[in-house]
Amino acid sequence: MAKKELIKLKINGEEREVAAESRMLLVHFIREQLGLTGTHVGCDTSNCGACTVLMNGKTVKSCTVFAVQADGAEIMTVEGLPSNGALHPLQEGFKEEHGLQCGFCTPGMLISSYALLKKNPNPTEAEIRWGISGNLCRCTGYQNIVKAVQFASKKMAQGGK
Amino acid sequence: MEHPEGEGNHGLEMAIKIEKTFRVDEPVEKVWAFLSDPKKVGVCVPGAQITEQVDERTYKGAIKVKVGPSVTDYKGEVQIVRKDDAAHEIEILGKGQDVRGKGSASMKMTGKLRAVDGGTEVINISELNVVGILAQMGGRVITEVSNIMFEQFVNNFKKQLQSPDAVGPDTTTAAAKPISAVGVAFSALKAAVTRHSGSEEAKPEPTKSPGDPGAK
Amino acid sequence: MHKTSAEISGMGHSMKRKEDGRFIQGKGNYVDDVILPHMVYAQMVRSPYAHARIKSINTDAAKKVPGVLAIITGEDLAKANLAWMPTLSYDKQMVLATGKVLFQAQEVAFVVAEDRYAAADAAELVEVDYEELPVLVDPHKAMDADAPLLREDRTEKNNKIFHWEVGDKAATDKAFKEAAVISKVNALSPRCHPAPLETCGCVADFNKATEKLTVWLTSQAPHAHRTVFALVGGIPEQNIRIIAPDIGGGFGNKVPVYPGYVCAVVASLTLGRPVKWIETRSENLQSTGFARDYHMTAEVAADKDGKVKAMRVKTLADHGAFNAAAQPTKFPAGLFSICTGSYEFPNAFCEVDGVYTNKAPGGIAYRCSFRVTEAAYLIERVMDVLADDLKMDPVELRQKNFIPAAKFPYKSPLGWTYDSGDYHAAMKLALDTVGYDALLKEQAEKRKKGELMGIGISSFTEIVGAGPAHTFDILGIKMFDSAEIRIHPTGKAICRMGTKSQGQGHETTYAQIVAQELGIPAKDVQVEEGDTDTAPYGLGTYASRSTPTSGAATAMAARKIREKAKKIAAFLLEASEEDLEWEPGKFFVKGAPSKAKTIQEIAFAAYTNIPPGLEAGLEAVNYYDPPNLTFPFGTYIAVVDIDKGTGEIKVRRFVAVDDCGNIINPMIVEGQIHGGLTEGFAIAFMQEIGYDESGNVQGGTFMDYLIPTAVETPHWETGKTTTPSPHHPFGAKGVGESPTVGSPGAFVNAVVDALSHLGVKHIEMPITPWKVWNILKEKGITG
Repeated sequence: MAKKELIKLKINGEEREVAAESRMLLVHFIREQLGLTGTHVGCDTSNCGACTVLMNGKTVKSCTVFAVQADGAEIMTVEGLPSNGALHPLQEGFKEEHGLQCGFCTPGMLISSYALLKKNPNPTEAEIRWGISGNLCRCTGYQNIVKAVQFASKKMAQGGK
Repeated sequence: MEHPEGEGNHGLEMAIKIEKTFRVDEPVEKVWAFLSDPKKVGVCVPGAQITEQVDERTYKGAIKVKVGPSVTDYKGEVQIVRKDDAAHEIEILGKGQDVRGKGSASMKMTGKLRAVDGGTEVINISELNVVGILAQMGGRVITEVSNIMFEQFVNNFKKQLQSPDAVGPDTTTAAAKPISAVGVAFSALKAAVTRHSGSEEAKPEPTKSPGDPGAK
Repeated sequence: MHKTSAEISGMGHSMKRKEDGRFIQGKGNYVDDVILPHMVYAQMVRSPYAHARIKSINTDAAKKVPGVLAIITGEDLAKANLAWMPTLSYDKQMVLATGKVLFQAQEVAFVVAEDRYAAADAAELVEVDYEELPVLVDPHKAMDADAPLLREDRTEKNNKIFHWEVGDKAATDKAFKEAAVISKVNALSPRCHPAPLETCGCVADFNKATEKLTVWLTSQAPHAHRTVFALVGGIPEQNIRIIAPDIGGGFGNKVPVYPGYVCAVVASLTLGRPVKWIETRSENLQSTGFARDYHMTAEVAADKDGKVKAMRVKTLADHGAFNAAAQPTKFPAGLFSICTGSYEFPNAFCEVDGVYTNKAPGGIAYRCSFRVTEAAYLIERVMDVLADDLKMDPVELRQKNFIPAAKFPYKSPLGWTYDSGDYHAAMKLALDTVGYDALLKEQAEKRKKGELMGIGISSFTEIVGAGPAHTFDILGIKMFDSAEIRIHPTGKAICRMGTKSQGQGHETTYAQIVAQELGIPAKDVQVEEGDTDTAPYGLGTYASRSTPTSGAATAMAARKIREKAKKIAAFLLEASEEDLEWEPGKFFVKGAPSKAKTIQEIAFAAYTNIPPGLEAGLEAVNYYDPPNLTFPFGTYIAVVDIDKGTGEIKVRRFVAVDDCGNIINPMIVEGQIHGGLTEGFAIAFMQEIGYDESGNVQGGTFMDYLIPTAVETPHWETGKTTTPSPHHPFGAKGVGESPTVGSPGAFVNAVVDALSHLGVKHIEMPITPWKVWNILKEKGITG
């Protein structure tokens, strides 16, 4: 049995210490060792973005990061979107604007949009499309996802968090 | 009324053709003696070993190719198809199967020598055909890996010619060392990326015959 | 149709989706999210060769990997008579290869281990000794005398699967002989793949103590899968429970039964532990049900004014190594014979030949409505070729030949009775929305300046809602569908249907149907699908059939409930049934509207104050046998600009006018159209699963098989006309696949239109910048 490393990280605000093989991918670590299945696997060549999480404030494709690389890091997954007990404006936006159908790309889309709005709170449509270009969707054609992000951007500008 | 694009052939010719010419500072006859002996020249191919001579023209061999974390051990045969001592031309056909059943590869290599001022020009035309997982990467990876292997081959060839007893890292018959995984993968990536911004032709499309991607 | 209040949210309301809550919080329950105690993981070992004999398989080294529990080969399965399984086209397919392999990535061995990494390690160490055989990848060569024989298991020793024809050949040939004009096109619908974002997989859990097999399965048709497992595996059907939980997109990819499912079930039966098998994206693209690979020739005979007289179609269908296409039994080429499209053809003849090649098995997938994508593409292309040959405006040609609205129901020369349509209205709305006349002027001016701009039209007719029992079955099971509705004492409801949403929003739309029929607010109606232990039998969701079949069943079941509710209301109001009137949510006495009982009060009474002679409860089930298919339609218009220097195509505008009859939820319909158009866009411009001469898959990962991102996906403009279906309980038709059926024709017609003045008549999909650039170079337009 391969040697296991102890990984200490902060996941969605919670400190955790879990062991894993050094070759374990972060996405498997999150889904199976940490029990957070919101982050999904959609491909095996780092193309689809379904596995997108925030690592130390930056979006990463967790299928292309080793769990051991997250030692000492702060990770946010879709389950950790700040919500104040309700829904984050992005989550609200996805529902209001029908920005999801099967829901499989949605967690990755939410994380990418979250990071985008942090960097650029008032993006143009072109900037939104670039911002989510690392996340593939087969169901929506992206048009309503753009509207969802615009909804959130407006709401957050008005002070809704 | 027909139309110009037609149905076309939607099978891609997957034989990778590589044509390279290089120069050595040795006389033709010396180079020929080296090139026409698979036991000698085989040693220059990175990751390869000639294990047995079956008859005058046939040898058994093996080559270990590592691309990224993926290792393929090919075992097979090398055959001298044609040898012309007068014209200094040799045609060799190597065929191998992956021992774990991951695929196969075959390569037809034609080597021609030409005496030039102060040395010999070696013209090498190789046609490589790969079946299996590696081939799914398309010409992209295989061409780059082949180019890198060829560069190493040329370096080894030159070294061997100068000092036949020199033992380089790839000449041990006991256990041929595979080509460095990370090195090849990174070089291949770098070469592929820089290639597209250079004057080389665009990568082949699956619906058209790629012609000769390595030709100048 | 009476529109209910927003509170009830019946048909026509853009109600926000009830299912969204769990998805936006990352709490969806997809198959790979299922984690059971003592669960183990499996990985498939696959063939690198397209055609080879298996001389031996050595699992010694693999078995030594710590954590490996079992390695199953074809030989093992053969002992239980499971090495082969039936396909949905009455062919058979190897579960694990025995004797030989027939396509690259074919399943050869199944490794089961305690964790997925150990399974992967072991899979790498399985040694298979192959002897390569000559490879056949060109379907045109499949019937040559010297073609390699692929299927040694069949009694027929050739690569022919079927020959199918329909129509009047003699009358059609005669019409061609007499025709003033004949136009022809050879059009390829290239092999592509639906690639839903979630790959296929299952968790098979055999409980030794209860002898019950539960399979969480990425399935678009859970009941059909259960019956197949029962028949193939010999397990009593009541002991099999298929649960299709949340599905991350289907698009036809999750209709077939894949070897991985069978192996996982066998492994679980053997080990007595839950076995999880989830394929990787590469495996998905390289071995699961591909789409298209139709090599088509269409000829249209017309008079000199452009009135069409006859259509003749010949198609070569490449099905890969096994005919695993999922389609109704009587239709080996699916519903391809809709290829006369929206036009009034007096005569037509269509023939299709299916062959085997050394490629992955399948054929029917990718939002195709059973080959309607191929058919609609073909007719829209050949009509444009005809227009070009006649130097006629393609809009004018279409309008001249549209089946007029007054002629519906219309019987096509290839046997379909179109229920309703108004092609002129959809076309007119599309033309007005896009500003067609202004675009034509712009194009003329641009051409003078040497700029390349194209306008492409596609006026498609879809055919969905399979289907009537007299004609439609899959593996013998008739293609009805079902709904079961139960009202609780407090007036809320739970419904289960035989279909299975993979993102189409059924938890919302079916609730809206119940809301419309019974006046119970949609938010109070719980909808469940996918658990074969609880849902009534159905054939599942694909080919845009849910609204036409289960949607209809939902309405019919609700109406049964309303009938009983009326009896209860009469009892409660002490009136006779004839004196009662209905408005959504309540029965009231004619002329005395204050004497009323709400559906909630009636529901409560069904459990607490039951009229004598009536059973308690308020529920109904309906199995709906549709009297006909439904025929959605539309006109799509694409405007493209081509960069002369790079061949890059920019879709400047895309107007989609769809008519799917009466609409349940406009927001959801629009979302379906956006998604389908994006898939059509991908098919037209960037997708192909190719094979080289050795049978190596090209396009076997997302690096090469391209999915459009938000950047290149165009902005979609949608509009609608409404022509209800006369035979559907609420006049709806279904719409999910219309956009993928109709759009490739519009895109290709637009690019060809941009280059037609240079003499270009047709370009094969995918139309890449490389292809366009080569044409421009050949024509001397670019350097």
